[in-house]
Amino acid sequence: MPSPIAMPKPGQFTEECTIVKWLKKEGDAVAKGDILFEIETDKANMEVESFFEGTLLKILTPEGGTVPVQAIVAWVGQQGEALPATPPPPAAPPKAAAQPEVSGQKSEVSQTKTAAVAAPTSSSAIHHSPSAIVPVQPAAPRKLKISPRAKALAERSVINPAPIRGTGPGGRIVEKDVLAYLDAKGYAQLKITPTAKDMAAKEQLDLLALRGTGEAGKITVEDITRAVAEKPKAMSKMRQVIAQRLTQSFTSTPHFFVTVSVDMTDLVAYRATLKAKKLPYSVTDFIAMAVTLCLKEFPTVNSSTDGKSIWWHSKVNLGLAVSLASGLVVPVIRDADDLTLLELHDRSAALIEKARNGKLLPDEMSGSTFTISNMGMLNVENFTAIINPGEAAILAVSSTSKQPVVKDDKVVVRQMMKITLSSDHQVIDGAQAAQFVNALKAKLEDVALWKKLV
Amino acid sequence: MENFDVVVIGAGPGGYPAAIRAAQLGAKVALVERENLGGTCLNVGCIPTKALIACADAFVHLRDAAKLGVKAEKVTADFGAMMAHKQGVVAQLRKGVGALLAGNGVKVFQGQAAFEAHDRIVVEHRTSNTEQPTSSERIKAGKIIIATGSTSVVPGFLPKRERVVESRGFLDLQQLPASMIVMGGGYIGCELACLAAALGVQVTIVELLEDVLMLLDPDVRREVKKHMEQKLGMRILTGKALEKIQADASGVTAEVGGEKLSADLLLVAVGRKPVTDGLELERAGLKTNERGFIPVDEFNRTAVANIFAIGDVNGGMQLAHAATSQAIVAAEAACGKKPHKNETLIPGVIFTMPEVAIVGLNEADAKKQNRAVKIGRFPFAALGRALATGTPEGFVKLIADAATDQLLGAQAVGAHATDLIAEATVAIRAELTAAELGRTVHAHPTFGEIWMEAAHAFHGECIHAAPRKKT
Repeated sequence: MPSPIAMPKPGQFTEECTIVKWLKKEGDAVAKGDILFEIETDKANMEVESFFEGTLLKILTPEGGTVPVQAIVAWVGQQGEALPATPPPPAAPPKAAAQPEVSGQKSEVSQTKTAAVAAPTSSSAIHHSPSAIVPVQPAAPRKLKISPRAKALAERSVINPAPIRGTGPGGRIVEKDVLAYLDAKGYAQLKITPTAKDMAAKEQLDLLALRGTGEAGKITVEDITRAVAEKPKAMSKMRQVIAQRLTQSFTSTPHFFVTVSVDMTDLVAYRATLKAKKLPYSVTDFIAMAVTLCLKEFPTVNSSTDGKSIWWHSKVNLGLAVSLASGLVVPVIRDADDLTLLELHDRSAALIEKARNGKLLPDEMSGSTFTISNMGMLNVENFTAIINPGEAAILAVSSTSKQPVVKDDKVVVRQMMKITLSSDHQVIDGAQAAQFVNALKAKLEDVALWKKLV
Repeated sequence: MENFDVVVIGAGPGGYPAAIRAAQLGAKVALVERENLGGTCLNVGCIPTKALIACADAFVHLRDAAKLGVKAEKVTADFGAMMAHKQGVVAQLRKGVGALLAGNGVKVFQGQAAFEAHDRIVVEHRTSNTEQPTSSERIKAGKIIIATGSTSVVPGFLPKRERVVESRGFLDLQQLPASMIVMGGGYIGCELACLAAALGVQVTIVELLEDVLMLLDPDVRREVKKHMEQKLGMRILTGKALEKIQADASGVTAEVGGEKLSADLLLVAVGRKPVTDGLELERAGLKTNERGFIPVDEFNRTAVANIFAIGDVNGGMQLAHAATSQAIVAAEAACGKKPHKNETLIPGVIFTMPEVAIVGLNEADAKKQNRAVKIGRFPFAALGRALATGTPEGFVKLIADAATDQLLGAQAVGAHATDLIAEATVAIRAELTAAELGRTVHAHPTFGEIWMEAAHAFHGECIHAAPRKKT
């Protein structure tokens, strides 16, 4: 009896996943622990291993397919074994499962339309409506009334017939309308190389919308390549989630920003001595520890609000923003306030490593109470970060660089680092934010403290 | 001081077309040349070698004509008469260039040009290259086009004897040597090696790189090499340096990887270097780069606003037709027409036996662009006309993008390859698809049909080749 391979449930709230890539083909031998396919959730990409041994008999969900969790995506069994005629009832068949997604999208689009109609001029309405974020997938085009001959002519001419005014019965576009349109647009004067025309047809571009840069305005392969590159394409699910969450946060949370310069000279020197002793601490570790200590002193900064109530979190779950080629992930060090500096270092190093390799589990990316965004290695003087939704503040850490500073009424060269706290003004006031960043500064500048903690 | 709109320095395949084009556009044009009109190409390069190769071809065809039912006995090669043919061709073409220049009203100055300033040139007249100038005159120029070309590199460690020649010296030989070592397996070395071997010279090519004719794809290279070794009987030693070279009045000796070689002549063909000596470029505010070339942009403009550099001296493609194409671009820009960028699709032709030609991307470079590169290959052996003429050797290949069907490059090795490449060049420049080339009706029976067949092969739809067995 073949064994069903089900779409795993990678996170508590994950309802559906997309298969990005199959690493095994139908007919391939599969051992326990072999990676079968890669999935994309709204949080990250993950690899899925096989719990069975045998041959991959049938793939039900192809690459790019989205199915609910627990749905059967493939069968593994002995070679030549017959598949069950109908999939067992508990899991919905993937074809049917794909439908809710489509209708879900449609409703999202129509929702957005209503929102736009309801508030055509009020920009504030858009700010408050998270559904204003339209997925870039183009809405299904309205059904064009066009005769088959006219349609064939438009396709042959590689143009978009949508703007053509139809004069046939019921406003239907007929062949002569297309001809008149082509004539009016000067289609006959259009010059295009054969390869470029083939590519434009394949990419469904409108030749009339293209600008030729070849000899005498001829449209060349280069022009098509440019037009294709400029075509809107769907963002990855991860990018869409980032877009939605950050827009929601930045537009619905009253941010304000407080910056201080931290003199890192002594700590940098101390870290160098530790490094010489083969101790692994990084500046990020010191900052994470200092932040954790300060959050215990300032519970408002380690809180959540819905605008009516405020929750102080008894534990510090420290999020670390990590930039990947595919987007941004925030692995979370749980109960950071229970950890020693060394434990903090080990945990953050392990999480960052996992993040870079795309191996973070969804549960390792949720539940943070405060986030640090460190761009120290990216050579920036100062920046501000957007608060992670559900948190009260985020710390932006900039690069450390040698600066002339006044110390004891003398201008001296010190290693300076700017840190900027973005705070939710709903719960944090300026004075608290100022106290918090100064407490942080004091800790980072106090080498005696670190000598005790190491 | 006479005043010109455009002064062109160098009358080679870059310089004289630039002068003629500028004159056509109404400019008052001067052309300065220190040697002969026509430059390296016409006098000591492309044309004379092709004249001699035609002689060698005729000799080989006649000698081997028995397979076509023509018996020719005691066929001999008269090298002296061949040289006379060559001289005749060169003289006629040189005269033609002179007539074209005169007809277009270009004033020709015979002598060495030297900059005095960015817009002033002194022309020094000498009776020979080495002497002090006997007289000089100064001319003023609005725009200047430098087209001084290149010359053979002769490494300093080589003995300076008459038994050691570069290509120019080879073309002036009074008689052929019995044996010859060719240092360098680039296209010049291989062309002259084939010419000599066809006329009975024992030839050994020594190339430092891993193979000869490295600009060709490996399969094309293999095909040429096979013929050079098996049909022309030459030795090709690659990946090894020619060492311990000694020469005296009667011959040369050398070592390659421990093996001792000796021959009557050493032909040095290790590359070409730009000619800028005597130009006094720094007085115009120009500098050459670390390899001696005058750097230019894609419109052939140098760092000085009114000065252009075209052809071999600017370090681009070192080919006569590239220089001519750049000449038109530069002349039009110099005359105030809207500038065009240089053409980038430059075919290359090699008159080895068999001939080779190449245009566009080669297979390796096309693959580097992350494309779905596919090859359409067709052999001459399956082409009626090639069999009829008794020249079934070689093949052509089309390099195209399977995703867009766009033709990217083409290579040909075999009879008429250097003429055949023209069709592929037009097709690639016009961004034709392989399908269109395949649908284009080609006259039967001709050599040109082979591109249509190769386009069919690209799609696996050959009429005249059996499908590959699917395994």
